[in-house]
Amino acid sequence: MTFRTRILLIFTLAVVASVGIVEWVGLDTTRESFERAETQRVNALVGQFQREFDRRRQGIVRAVNGIAGSDAMLNLALATDYAPNYDDARSLAAAHNLGLLELVAGDGSIISSAEWPARFGYKEDWLLTRENWRSLGAFLKREELPDGMTLALVSVATVNAGDRRLYIVGGQELDREFLSTLVLPVGMRALLYRNLGAGFSAPDLIDASGPARRPAMLQPLVESVVRDGKETAATVGGGADAEIFHAIPLTGYENNLLGVLLAGSSRRSLVELEASLRTTGIAVAAAGILTGLMLAWWATARITRPVRRLADSAGKVAAGNWNTTVEIASADEIGQLAQSFNRMTHELVEQRERLVQTERVAAWRELARRLAHELKNPLFPLQITVENMQRARDSYPEQFDEVFREGTHTLLAELQNLKQIIGRFSDFAKMPAPEMQAVDFNAMAADVMKLFEPQLAAAHIVGRTELDPNLPAVQADPDQMNRALRNLILNAIDAMPKGGALTVRTAALNPGVRIEIADTGEGLTPEECERLFTPYYTTKTHGTGLGLAIVQSVVADHHGKISVHSRPGQGATFRMELS
Amino acid sequence: MLALLLAAALFAATRPHYGGVLRVQLQDAIQGADPPQLGPGIPDLFAAFTITRWESGSRAAFSANPSAAGGRPFLDSIEIEMGRPTREMTIALDTGKADIIQLDPAAMRRPPAGVKIWSSSPVRLVALRFSGSEDARLREAVSLAVDRTAIQRVLLQGQGEVSGALLPQWLSGYAFLFPAAADVSKSRALAAALPASSRSLTLSFDSPALRPIADRIVLNARDAGIAFTIAPAGGTVRLVQTRMISSDPAKALAGVAISLGLQEPPRALTPEALYNAERNLLDGFRVIPLFHLPDVYAVSPRVKGGPGISPLGEWRFENLWLENPRP
Repeated sequence: MTFRTRILLIFTLAVVASVGIVEWVGLDTTRESFERAETQRVNALVGQFQREFDRRRQGIVRAVNGIAGSDAMLNLALATDYAPNYDDARSLAAAHNLGLLELVAGDGSIISSAEWPARFGYKEDWLLTRENWRSLGAFLKREELPDGMTLALVSVATVNAGDRRLYIVGGQELDREFLSTLVLPVGMRALLYRNLGAGFSAPDLIDASGPARRPAMLQPLVESVVRDGKETAATVGGGADAEIFHAIPLTGYENNLLGVLLAGSSRRSLVELEASLRTTGIAVAAAGILTGLMLAWWATARITRPVRRLADSAGKVAAGNWNTTVEIASADEIGQLAQSFNRMTHELVEQRERLVQTERVAAWRELARRLAHELKNPLFPLQITVENMQRARDSYPEQFDEVFREGTHTLLAELQNLKQIIGRFSDFAKMPAPEMQAVDFNAMAADVMKLFEPQLAAAHIVGRTELDPNLPAVQADPDQMNRALRNLILNAIDAMPKGGALTVRTAALNPGVRIEIADTGEGLTPEECERLFTPYYTTKTHGTGLGLAIVQSVVADHHGKISVHSRPGQGATFRMELS
Repeated sequence: MLALLLAAALFAATRPHYGGVLRVQLQDAIQGADPPQLGPGIPDLFAAFTITRWESGSRAAFSANPSAAGGRPFLDSIEIEMGRPTREMTIALDTGKADIIQLDPAAMRRPPAGVKIWSSSPVRLVALRFSGSEDARLREAVSLAVDRTAIQRVLLQGQGEVSGALLPQWLSGYAFLFPAAADVSKSRALAAALPASSRSLTLSFDSPALRPIADRIVLNARDAGIAFTIAPAGGTVRLVQTRMISSDPAKALAGVAISLGLQEPPRALTPEALYNAERNLLDGFRVIPLFHLPDVYAVSPRVKGGPGISPLGEWRFENLWLENPRP
């Protein structure tokens, strides 16, 4: 992950987190505000609904009292025969807009019933249980009608004429017609549960259009109110279909709960408003995040540009281009860093030049020392031989020919030796550029091992090859690699003066090949391993110290790697890897 | 002089004279391809009038017969409309579009103002007629459940009489022997002995005027544990109304039996035989007599010469004349 990506990621996380928190807090606060406003609205609606319901109650009370206050009722109270009046309730109820009306004699027997005319003469004993009905106002009552039991909102008025009494019981059936005539605020609907029997009965839950839809959803609320007898509010349903219901218990004259009035207010508008706000909030947040990301992209590019230049420059330096410098575009920490970088590379270049000069001087000195050392050895026999030939000519002329013959032989041999030394130095100095072609290192290893078979046998060394049959051909200079391989094998032979085993291994890499030459000699110390590839360094009593240097030079020209793995007493393994 | 003129005008107005069309409206819708020939009502007109028009169940017209045995009636003609609702007939009477209208007894509670009432003896029988497939105990339970007295007192406004017999008391003399009192406890006990599924009945009625009585019967039956359902027609139980067609008890019983779909009883020559015949008809409670009601008519004041009906409800329109004959 790049520095810029990391900063961009951090910026992104920061922006998303910030926007998310602001969005969440904003939406939550707004939602709470809306909920409070919705609660106030619903309470206002419920208040309006209850006033409407009370108005209807008062209307019933007024109508019943109006009937009771008429002369006709006074005359009826005084009448001795009620038979001619058995049908009066119907016309009175129609005139006073009452659905239910019964005229009841003082003994509780029905004189006339609008809702059930046939019930004349039947007793309404419950009327005799109380003296002052007027104070009750309108109350709920279970009312039996020809088609079954129902719930009614009734009021009772009495007409007293001397010792005669007449009850006027009037009201409205609490049914869907009653609900449909309630003047309700917009967005509100009214339902009524008629508690006519034991347990919840779905058909008794009605609204203005008939039996309520999905009564099961309202059942827990209704049962709660029936059980506790307290006004309760609850949200029913979910999403846009959710409604807040205020369940109002309705009691009869004995304070028994006969009905539950449910005022429902739809939450659709609130839910839709909240959804709209949420959508807008998300859109704004997305726009904010997008803007933040774009700004972050621009800012990170601006911030990381000098860092990237520094990194690029450092990479160039690592690749060997020490003359790399960074443009200094600011005076801040990055600018100071660039300045330090430039100073560092400048010093590195200077130090390298000094080091090269030092190394060059050291190399020349080493070369001179080596040359002196290498040349001194053959020169000494040459000097002795020439001096012997001079001494023989001066002191022993008769033996001069023989001495001359032996002397020239020695001289030629030493001159040949000098020639070889010079040739090796020349080879090292004139390492040509590799000529690449596909090389099968398995074949090359086999050929080289075959070449060394006599020497291995003479040195009591067992030669082994462990060649990977899947070894691919790689691009290499076969002559140079052959030479490197031979040098490594010669090195291994030299490392086992008392015999041992030499193993050549090949293995396929992905990509490339690996070639290992392992011996079972004395091994090398870590210090020897470190210096092993330094030119003119050798652990042997003979040799120029250029063999491994040549190998390293060949491998480096092939862009490969060479390493040695060894411990004292455990042999050594040289490993070449080419790709 | 003025007094003489007024007296002469009054004399002329109260004096019978010929002419005019008597307009009669009836609740009853008499059905038949031909007009009925027997019984009180329209058949009584044939003595002095000639039928000129007959539309079954809706309309009839008669004209005076100049060669009638008793001489030409005063009225030129009589127009009869049948199957008319009480409310419309009352309006027609008020507005002078009808001279005589038939009232159901309940209307006697508040009779139209300024009219004369002609009432016969109780000649109409109101009864429950069972199909016969019910358990006899159920029928008896219904009979005991119905509070006839309350119905007669309130719904019939005291008109007619409560009865458990087919023939009215004035006709047979023994009607009181047939019990008519309600006994809800016994009725409930009888019904409770029956399976619940057999305690459901449907009740229909012949005339809309009988609907209040039907509703009350349903209520009374419910108190006894019997479930009645009102059906417009085709009920297993029917609330029917029939009338006596003769002042001869035996003929009247036979007529009632036939009209109720019962087997015609043998001709009874003695009151005991008549009683036994009626008892046999009522055994099994296939028919439960409830009330005997009179024929009641409201008559415009301009109809003179009445009453135009006999105690048996027979029409005596040949003696009627109109105060101001219509042109």
